Amino acid sequence: MINHPRHISWLEVEIPGAPDSAFQLAPRSVRDVTSILRYSSEKGLAVQVWGGGTHSGYGTPVKPDFVMSMEHLGEVERWEPDDLTIVVGAGARVDRVEAMLAERNQSLVMPERSNGATLGGVIAAGVSSLRRGRLYATRERVLEVTMVTGDGRLIRSGGRVVKNVTGYDIHRLVVGAFGALGVIVSVCLKLMPTPTGAATVEIDELAGAGVIARPLSVLETDGSVRVYLQGTEAEVAAQVSRLGGRSEPGLDWPADPEGTWQWSLRVPPVLVGEALARLRPGWRYLALHGVGEIRASSESHDGAEDLRSWAESLGGNLVMCKGDSGLFDPWGKPPVGLDLQRRIVAEFDPSRVLNPGRLPGGV
Amino acid sequence: MTLVADLRAVLGDEDVMEEPVELHLYSKDASPLVRGHPTCVVFPRDTAEVAEIVRIAERYQAPIVARGAGTGLAAGASPTEGGIVVVTTALRDIDLDPANRTAWVGAGVINLDLTKAATSHGLHFAPDPSSQSACTIGGNVANNSGGPHCLSEGSTTSHVLGLEVVLAGGQIVVLGGQAPDPIGLDLKGVIVGSEGTLGIVTRALVRLLPVEPDVRTLMMGFPTVEDSARAVSDVIAAGLVPAALELMDQRMCQAVENWLHAGLPTDAAAVLLAEVVGETEGVVSQAQLIAGIGRANHAMGVEIAETEEHRALLWKGRKGAFGSVAQLAPDYYLHDAVVPRTRLVETMRAVYEIADRHGLTMANVFHAGDGNLHPLIAFDADDPELSETVRQAGDEIVAACLEVGGALSGEHGIGVEKRDLMRSNFSELDLDAQARLKEAFDPMGIFNPNKILPQGSRCFDFGGARRELPEGVWI
Repeated sequence: MINHPRHISWLEVEIPGAPDSAFQLAPRSVRDVTSILRYSSEKGLAVQVWGGGTHSGYGTPVKPDFVMSMEHLGEVERWEPDDLTIVVGAGARVDRVEAMLAERNQSLVMPERSNGATLGGVIAAGVSSLRRGRLYATRERVLEVTMVTGDGRLIRSGGRVVKNVTGYDIHRLVVGAFGALGVIVSVCLKLMPTPTGAATVEIDELAGAGVIARPLSVLETDGSVRVYLQGTEAEVAAQVSRLGGRSEPGLDWPADPEGTWQWSLRVPPVLVGEALARLRPGWRYLALHGVGEIRASSESHDGAEDLRSWAESLGGNLVMCKGDSGLFDPWGKPPVGLDLQRRIVAEFDPSRVLNPGRLPGGV
Repeated sequence: MTLVADLRAVLGDEDVMEEPVELHLYSKDASPLVRGHPTCVVFPRDTAEVAEIVRIAERYQAPIVARGAGTGLAAGASPTEGGIVVVTTALRDIDLDPANRTAWVGAGVINLDLTKAATSHGLHFAPDPSSQSACTIGGNVANNSGGPHCLSEGSTTSHVLGLEVVLAGGQIVVLGGQAPDPIGLDLKGVIVGSEGTLGIVTRALVRLLPVEPDVRTLMMGFPTVEDSARAVSDVIAAGLVPAALELMDQRMCQAVENWLHAGLPTDAAAVLLAEVVGETEGVVSQAQLIAGIGRANHAMGVEIAETEEHRALLWKGRKGAFGSVAQLAPDYYLHDAVVPRTRLVETMRAVYEIADRHGLTMANVFHAGDGNLHPLIAFDADDPELSETVRQAGDEIVAACLEVGGALSGEHGIGVEKRDLMRSNFSELDLDAQARLKEAFDPMGIFNPNKILPQGSRCFDFGGARRELPEGVWI
């Protein structure tokens, strides 16, 4: 039984969709975050950090003593359009920041259909934009991270410049770390300009995409292949005529497939076609050709074990993004260097209070 | 047994050197101010030998300094604490996978050799430091090296998909791979740029990019450095991300022209080299836009390279810049601080002012597009008083860059040369977190000790701050 900390009742909130816990908090300042984490480390209370809840199905479920929402820490601290950088609180919603940036033809290059996800959530889960094949993954956008470690230390890694080798890249280590090293409170991100020309071209054969050296993306959903193009208008027009398919102006991004079970299958890029052939009938998918990432959904986990073994034998993996972790292991084979991962986590979160056990290998 | 005898038992006599001449040769990298005194220099032929070396080093608690070609500019590969210099140049396999656009590359492979091997498949390795004809992939990984073409494609870290690393205890691990988004902590991501302080990288799985269908390279001379810096800021502000955007000042251009005759204008205060790549229609319009921005900032002439030979000549001038400084003085001291691109104009003004005040000979050649300065001070390192002045001016330049929100190093690394400036870039707790990371990887502290982090970075007294808080106090 946890003593309810009465004196912070004003930080208490209701978080829809959050797992059961004794109480739920929404810190209003970075100082609140450091105080809360010092307290939880001292008392050994498990904290689940909450952004938009979009990636809550990833990993081994946490049994939190309390849930901490980052909803109040989402201010845009500094947008430098002429430097193509932005500093923003981790609780900011990706779609809202993108809408603001679009006014100056700039983009975070983060997931296009973010469903209320926050910047902190996208970074902690290490998920990326559909444009990643041309414009790189989320980890390449993160220039600086300010975070609070499990024991309440406020630390910063990286810097507000687009190129930087000053010190260890802890800000890259937190990408995909599911909050195990610290709670991300704010980030500086590298923006990309959005050129004016854009088109989406549906083609009959995947091989046809080969006439474009570096398309923005080549996506396949349930039998149809689309090439996404962006550049100056003259450039895009020339590419469209070279591709010769059915084209529409603009970029019409597909949503991730939804179902009772959701998956992220990761294989060497050249094997995407073979991976799709291995999906059981009824599985829906969104495949990123040239990248090796396939987002899929299904109504049961039949066949998932075989798919995972195949992916793991190629150095890839099958990650469960939504489903029943009692029926199916969310991660599969733990990564190499697990002892080292544990030692690193112990340096940042000695009492192991942040999303404990959520990472692969029970870290 | 001794350290050297143990190493010889594993590597054979010829791959372990301890003659004074050899020790002297490997006592420093390309940084002029720092020299170390190694016990021996070893040349492992495979990863298993590297693992043996690590185990032996741990037994004797001898420091290990990994070294590729020794082109580093921050003394990261100088064996300042003695011990074993592990030269990786014999690890030189290249295993290309053109279909997946990747290659497994030995740490000792020379950067340019990788791109040459990939060219026949229409591919290339994006990071292209000026030293690319000499520097190794292992060194690129250790320093997270950049180069002119990292403006649009990112530094080495964006192009490393996997690593084979020898960790503490001689444990060999393969991190990452061709499939995206490996699960668990991104250990590979933090090893890149760690300057050999976390382990020894023996092979890297790198991303290869397709050679772009078309390219335009522009050269523009400006009447003042400020005009050129403003043109750079305006190009970025216009939403263009060219493949490269490089500045050279007049002193630099004159030195290059004396030596290489690359056709750089010697009467301009600054020359901007811009390159755009992509489909023909795109590069033509982007080149026009950049030329327009140049003219609006008083460019005296705009030259667009029409042939591959012309383009190659312009780049030869840029990449030969550091070499040409030998005409000015026997040594040069170089910083590579980074500033936000919106602050380039005022920062350049401050940098020139500092050099003038100290009466130093300075030339500038730098990656203007990403705000990465390279103020280069030519001097004679045998003159101790002058060396001290140079160091002092360097510190002032760094301070000016940090003042406008910049960072210590964009691509050369921290090593020893910038180690003690880390406190001006990070707080005590920031450095403590970095020191903890180092400890988690290297509990015995044998991997390239006393690099990157200043002495005393690990603060053991943090617990005190926690105890000061009365029970139940939140805010």
